[in-house]
Formats: sequence, structure tokens, C-alpha cells
Amino acid sequence: MAAPNEPLWRRYLRFFGPDVDADVDEELRFHLEMREQHYLARGMEPAEAREAARKRFGDFGRHRRALRRQDGRRLRRTLWSERLGEWVHDLRYAARLLWHHRGFSVAVIATLALGIGATTAIFSAVDAALLRPLPFLEPERLVELRNVTLPFAPRGGEETSNATPNVRTVGALTNVYSDVAAYAVGGLNLSGIGAPLRIKAGVVTEAFFRTLGAKVQQGRTFSPQEGRPDNTAVAVISHGLWQRQFGGQAAVGRTVRLNGKAYQVIGVMAPGFRFPEDADLWVPLTVPMTFASFEPFRGWIPSVSIARLAPGVSREVAADRLRVLWRAMPADRLEELQGVIAEPLRDLQGSLVGDRRTPMLILLGATGLLLLIACVNATNLLLAHAAMRERELAVRTVLGASRGRLIRQLLVQSLVLALAGAALGLLLAYATLGLVAGLLPREMTELAAPTLNGRLLAFAVGLAVVTGLGFGVLPALGAARTDAQSVIKSGGGHGSTAARRGRTRRVLVTAELALALMLLAGSGLMLRSFSAVLATDPGFVPERVATLQMTLDRTSYPRSGTRLAMLQRLLDRVRSVPGIEAAGVINDLPMSGVGGISIQVNLEEGTVKEPWKAARYLKADAGYFRTMGIQLLQGRLMAASDDSVAPAVMVVSARMARELWPGQNPLGKRIKLLDPDTVGWRSVIGVVSDVREKPDENADWQMYYPITEDSPSLVAVVVRGTLPERDLLSTLRNAVQEVDPSQPIYAVRTLAELRHASLSNRRSNTTLITTFGALALLLAVVGVYGVVAYGVTLRTREMGIRAALGAERADLVRLVLGEGVWVAVIGVGIGLIGTLALSRLLQSLLYGVGPSDPVAIAGAAIVLLLPVVGATLIPARRAARLDPVDVMRAE
Amino acid sequence: MSQSLDVLRGTLDLLILKALSWGPAHGYSVAEWIERVTGDTLQIEEGSLYPALHRLDERGLIEAEWGLSGNNRRAKYYALTVAGRQALRAESATWTRYARAVFAALDAPASLKPARA
Repeated sequence: MAAPNEPLWRRYLRFFGPDVDADVDEELRFHLEMREQHYLARGMEPAEAREAARKRFGDFGRHRRALRRQDGRRLRRTLWSERLGEWVHDLRYAARLLWHHRGFSVAVIATLALGIGATTAIFSAVDAALLRPLPFLEPERLVELRNVTLPFAPRGGEETSNATPNVRTVGALTNVYSDVAAYAVGGLNLSGIGAPLRIKAGVVTEAFFRTLGAKVQQGRTFSPQEGRPDNTAVAVISHGLWQRQFGGQAAVGRTVRLNGKAYQVIGVMAPGFRFPEDADLWVPLTVPMTFASFEPFRGWIPSVSIARLAPGVSREVAADRLRVLWRAMPADRLEELQGVIAEPLRDLQGSLVGDRRTPMLILLGATGLLLLIACVNATNLLLAHAAMRERELAVRTVLGASRGRLIRQLLVQSLVLALAGAALGLLLAYATLGLVAGLLPREMTELAAPTLNGRLLAFAVGLAVVTGLGFGVLPALGAARTDAQSVIKSGGGHGSTAARRGRTRRVLVTAELALALMLLAGSGLMLRSFSAVLATDPGFVPERVATLQMTLDRTSYPRSGTRLAMLQRLLDRVRSVPGIEAAGVINDLPMSGVGGISIQVNLEEGTVKEPWKAARYLKADAGYFRTMGIQLLQGRLMAASDDSVAPAVMVVSARMARELWPGQNPLGKRIKLLDPDTVGWRSVIGVVSDVREKPDENADWQMYYPITEDSPSLVAVVVRGTLPERDLLSTLRNAVQEVDPSQPIYAVRTLAELRHASLSNRRSNTTLITTFGALALLLAVVGVYGVVAYGVTLRTREMGIRAALGAERADLVRLVLGEGVWVAVIGVGIGLIGTLALSRLLQSLLYGVGPSDPVAIAGAAIVLLLPVVGATLIPARRAARLDPVDVMRAE
Repeated sequence: MSQSLDVLRGTLDLLILKALSWGPAHGYSVAEWIERVTGDTLQIEEGSLYPALHRLDERGLIEAEWGLSGNNRRAKYYALTVAGRQALRAESATWTRYARAVFAALDAPASLKPARA
């Protein structure tokens, strides 16, 4: 007898849990009916009886509403606490179980920690360099203007006629650019306050701070007057420098000496501002720039131009306006300007990250592969574990545990493992933050150091959840699908489930091997590139050479002659030390990270060849070449007689000679540089071998002027000798001390160290990829071993029977080996295909090898196969030693 | 009579527990029992019985179960739990003590009248 007015379908809802509303209605309706019948029995009319029952009951609607609310609340509370209880139960169960199987848990957690840790560590660099905005005001409006220069007036008078867009012409586009600035970075000797110190200085135009939105904490930044030539003896200092050198005392208005010249401090920047690089002090870069304004630096520094887009102006519109300027250039230059016209500006962050972006993303991809391998390995371990627990799970199924509940429990278990792995991985990532910072360009290490922030935390936890579900889902589904009865009957581990699981695990290990091969091949390519770079001839002999740098400031050494006299005394002193073979000076050492300049050459024949060629503008003495082991190929080196009054001469590098005068004798040829040299015609007196500026780049043109012509104030001294390197360094240091005890020196190091340092990027990229490759190898070997050993355990009985039937030990070994080798061969085969498809992505990091270099790839395959076969030998030998009698008895 | 209702409403829980102490019953028979044993003295809205029943259920003093009534109709039966039986014992003792005290006061001889000073 259905209650009146109750739709039939409501009944079905009860399948999904109690239906509160229907229950309330039914209960109340029952009451009313009973009362009605009571009145009917007393002889009332039906309508009257119903009315009386209602009246007796009171406000039906109100009571019903109150009851529904009350019961609904109660039901929800019950359900929640039930659900929570289940989760808590599952968690506790997982924790207990994992604690019980500590060995297994440690293996899984360690595997995942490696994968998650490596990925998170590399992600911290990606986060710092690419994701986190620069710490400037509205950084999305900041751009770098490519190839935009400063107007140039070498002697402070008339500007050189150079039609390229410059900071002034671009700055005039005020409706597109709010501010346009230029900056350069260099080193300065700071004295006159605290201990003398070598500091990094930014040479910046007046608009620089405004463009970046950087604020002073005290004083002010440069005024427009201070941005003009001959009015530049002012400096702004960083908050850090103020604290260190001034001890927090008043700094504004005080005088400091930079390379001996007095500068007045006019402002202290707010804490944290240290751009460009890790600058501690800023001096004005004048518009137009003059040689005089380069006073703290050597001859020429290429500046970088930046701009802030006007509010609401898109990067595309700004770029278009710039293109108009570039297209107005003389027609004969348009071809070389194609690149600039295509991309006249880029966002500041992107331009600071520059070519470090690709290696970072490649490394992130590599850690992704490693994480995938770690996941596969974890899945494998979990599957093996599930096999051990098969009986337990079967019994629980029989006892009424639902499939969903079992799956959930297994997933909770893998999530717990993954989160523990992530926690450990985060520790790993935190420990390697310093190392990872090396992946960032120097311009960014101070600006955006990798840190352990919320995003990184979220990243690691996200990875953990994804991997936990990823590696947990297969074993969980597999376990829940298990046919409980057959497992219990067979005693576990022998049924079709086990066979299916074995297949799954073989597939997984194959995938793991394929991934590992790809990482190993990448490592191989990087290592081959590295050795190719090491094998390149730098053009000098780096062993047993000590170097140092110093700035001969203009107070102690006001003229070229006084500087040359000092250098001569120093060299004489050094050469007199027993065991010193040669010594020399130059303005700029190779591989020290200082860029060259662009030159435009006039040949005597009247033709301008290759306008704006990158070249190194060097000033050296003959001793420099002898010390460095740079070979004289033709003609002679400069002599002491090549001074400021003698005819202007130069020594050029082999490549420069070859490209300027192909097939001709370069000796005696004369050239004139349009920029920045104004001496006039200069004859070639000698040709020397090319010197690489970077180990993995070809040499630019090199021009060596006699240092005796005009000594720069910044010089590097080099000595070669038979002494141990430590003694060479101290000899050099002592010699300077003896000649001028007050002269500051810096960058005291051997030439080998310099070369080593110049390889640091490549080394860290190679080391990281190789480390990831080695970890992948380790995981893969463990994975293969696990699968084969498990296979042997499964087939113990079969092996025993075979042995009993007279199979030779060698046959059994072959049987087991066959399984492992088969998996390995397929895995390596797939990996080879993957490698050939993906290795092109590495192209930009390679040197001297192609992306499909057979030596690297075959080497990787061998490095992978040997230990994998080794790992299968262990279970194979175990199989061979099986005693058939024991096996039968165990059954 | 309506003035006494508020007091009685507080006592409704006690009456329900007492009603169920004779055995499981549905809401209607609880109402009927209360009406029968108290006569017309306690005229309560029968509807207000149910929130009290559900509250007691939630507090674990009684428990509900669906069953079939005498005329083969689905009805919700309530039964006293162990906790409910303890509560009934404690509550009725309190109630009795309280009532006795009130009676004692009402029946007090004139010699015990309040002092006038």
C-alpha cells in the first residue's frame, strides 16, 4: 500500500541512500491516517474525521519543514563523518602497511624523490628565469631595443654621422615609448671610503632608473645635466654598498674615488636594486657618449638599450614604429639588418635570459624523462608488491570489501608514497638551489635567484599527486580485478593474474629502457661535445701561465708614459725571477667574457669590406704572445720602438688577414678603421694564430696594437714559467707589490682556470644531463632485475620440472637470459627511434658532433645493455642452481 | 491550562521515554498513550511530538526502524536504547524529587508559614 501522492520513482532513490523527505512524509501521513481511522471508528463522517485529525496534529506544513531540515542536517553530518572516517582509516591502513613493508616503501620513495627532486630543481631555475616577473615596476612594459646605440661623439665635439637609430631618435617617439635608456657594465676600483675594493658598476644614461621604475632611498638619481658629457663626476650607490662601505652613515654628498678620480655620491638606491648584473654603483653614461665618458673603462663598451612602452601601447605597435626607423637606413645596409627589422625589440626578461632558455628547457625535458622512468619503476615495484599481497586482497574481497574501496585504498597508498617522495624531492631540490642558479645567465643571478617558493611547492605536490595517481592506478585496477576465488584456491601468485601482471611489467620495463636510452644518448652527445670542445685548439697554451688584472688609476699614473714605465718595471722584475720564462701585458685576456666591438674597415684599395665586422680591439706587447704561446705566422711582433710617434702598425690574426686579403701577402697592407679609432692608416707588420674567445666558438678577427703606442689603464699581466702554478701566481702578485704597494690587483688566476671557467655553462649542462642519464641507467637496471627475478620466482616450478626432465643448466640460464635480453633489445630499439626523433632538440647544445652521432648513440646502447644483461644474469644463475627435488618438495 | 504547556513541553522527552519503556512503538501510539494516561490534562499538538522523537533518536536515547503496523502498513517504530533507559531512570528520579518538593511546600502546615519580621 503506497503512501498517497508519493511518486513511485522516489522509492528507487532509496537504493542510493536514505531519502529523508520521503521518510518524513510517510511517517507523518501514517500518523494522520491512524488518527482519521480512530475518528471514523467513533462514527464521524470521513471529511469531518480528516479535518479533526489535521486539527489535532497542528500545523502540518511547519512540522514537516522542521523535521525535513533536522533530518537532512543529520544525514549530511553522518555521511561526512563516515566518509572522513573511511579516509582516515585508509590513510592509517596505508601508513601501517607501508611501515610494515619498509624496504619496499623506501625503494619507491627514493625512486620518486629522485624524479621529483630533479624535476623540481630544474623547474626552480625555469621559474626564476622565465616564469617569475622581473622585480621592476610593471616589467611587462619593459623591452630591449636591439642594435639601438647611443649617439657618438668620440672627442666630445661633433657627433659621428651614423644613421642607425639611437637612444635619442627612439626616445623622441614619446607616444610609443615612455622612457628610453642605455646601460653598460664594468668594473671599477673604489677607494676613499673604507678599504679599497673592486666593484661592479653600471654606466647608465640619465633615464635608466626612471625606465626601470627604480627608486632611491636617499638623495636622487642623475639629473639631465649630469647626462651630458663633461659633467659626470657623480655616482649613485646600492643599498648594500652603503651598508658595507659607509656603515650606514650619511653617504649622500660624500666623495668616493673611482679608479682614482673623485665622484660625489648623490643617491642611495632602495634595498634590493642591483641591475645590471650585480652592480653596486652607477655612474652616468652620457648622451652622446664620448671617449671621455668611458674613463672608468677600456676604450669602448657596447651598451644595451632598453625602453618602457607607453601605457596601452602593445609590443607589436612599438616594434612597427622602430621598423620604420630601421627601413630608412641606406639600401646597402638593409640586407645585414634583416634580423633587426624582423625583431627590432624583445621583452627585457626574454633578452636577459637569452640563449640560456633552450638549455633550461632541454634540462627540464630531461628531468621529465627521468620522472617518467621513476614512475614506471614505482609502478613496477607496486605491481610486485601487489603480487605479494594478492592473497590478502583476495581474502578481503571475499570478506565483502567493495572493489571501489580496495582501489581507493591502493591509491591512497600510492599517494602517500608519492607525497613522501615529493617531500624528500623538495629537500633534494632545496639542497641543489645553489647549483641550479648556475643555469641562469649572469644578468639574472642577482635579479631573480631561484628560491623555494609557493609555486615550487605547488609544483612538487602537483607532481606527486599526478605521479601518485599515475603509477598507482594500474596496480590498483589490476589488484581489484583479481579473481579472488582462483587466487585463494591456487595459493596465490600462480594464476592468470600473475601472468597478466608479468606481461604488464615487461611492457613497463621496455618503456623504461627506451626512455633511459634516450637520456643516455643525450648524455653521450653532451659528453662527446664536451670532449670536442676540450680538444679544440684555443690558439694559446694554457698550462703554466699565471695572470692578474689591475687598473692603473689616473691619479698615480696620469699619462700613458707613466703607465708604460710602471709596466716595464713590473715586467723586468718578474723576468728576473728564476724559473720565469716569459712575461707580457695586454688590455684584455681571451675567454674573460668581455665582448668585442664592431668595426668598419677601409682598405687602401678604397673598398669597404664587410661593414660592421665583429673584432677584438687589443693592445699588447711582444712578450704577451711569447707568454701565451700564440704563434707568429708571418712578419714580426711589435717592438718597444713602435711608440706613439712611430708609424702606426698592427699585428692581425690569421683569420682577419685571410678574409681581408685572400691569397695575398698581408704584410705591409694598410687599413683604416672608421670607428672608434681615429689614428688613420695603420700597416700590418705581422700575422699571428687565431685565439678563441670562447672554447666553443670560432675566433673573431683580432687586431693587436702596440701597447707602447698608448697604454690603457686597465691591463692584464701574464707570466709563464717552469715553477709550480702556485709559485707563479705568488711571484706575479709579489712583483706588483714590490713595484707599487698601493696598487690594487684582482682576478689573480692561472690561464687554465680562466679556460675552465669559460666552460662552466657547458660543464654544468653536461654534468646535469649526464647525471640524469646515470640515474636513468640505475633505475632501468633495477627495473629489469626486478622483472626478471620475479619471472624466475613465478617459473620456479616449471624450471624445476625442466631440470628434473634433464634440461642442462646452460639451457635454464639461456631461458631466463632470453627473457631479459628480449625486453632489453626491444626497449633499446624503441629508444633508438625515440633518440633519433628527439636528439635534434639538443642541436644547439652540441659541438663537433651531429645529433645522430653514431658513436654517442651506440655507446649509450652498450652502456645500457651491459648492466641490464648483467642484472638478468643474477636471477638466471639462481634458476640454474635450482634443485628439482627442493622445488617439488616446496610445492 | 495553556500556561502549563511550556513546562510540559520540557517534560515531553521524559513522557516519550516512558511511553517507549513498555516496548517499541510508532509515533501515533506514543501520542495515544500520553493522551490516555494523562486524560485531557495535557492537550499537546500531536505534530510537536515528532521533532522530539527525531531529536531523541539523534541523541541516541531511542532508535528508529521501519516496520509493519497491525494493518500491514509501513510505519516507523521507535525503541528505547540502553542509554535511553538510563536517561529515563535519571530524569524520572529528578522529576519525582522536584514534584515531591513542590507538594511538600503546598501541603505545608500553617505553623510553618513565613516569618513576618
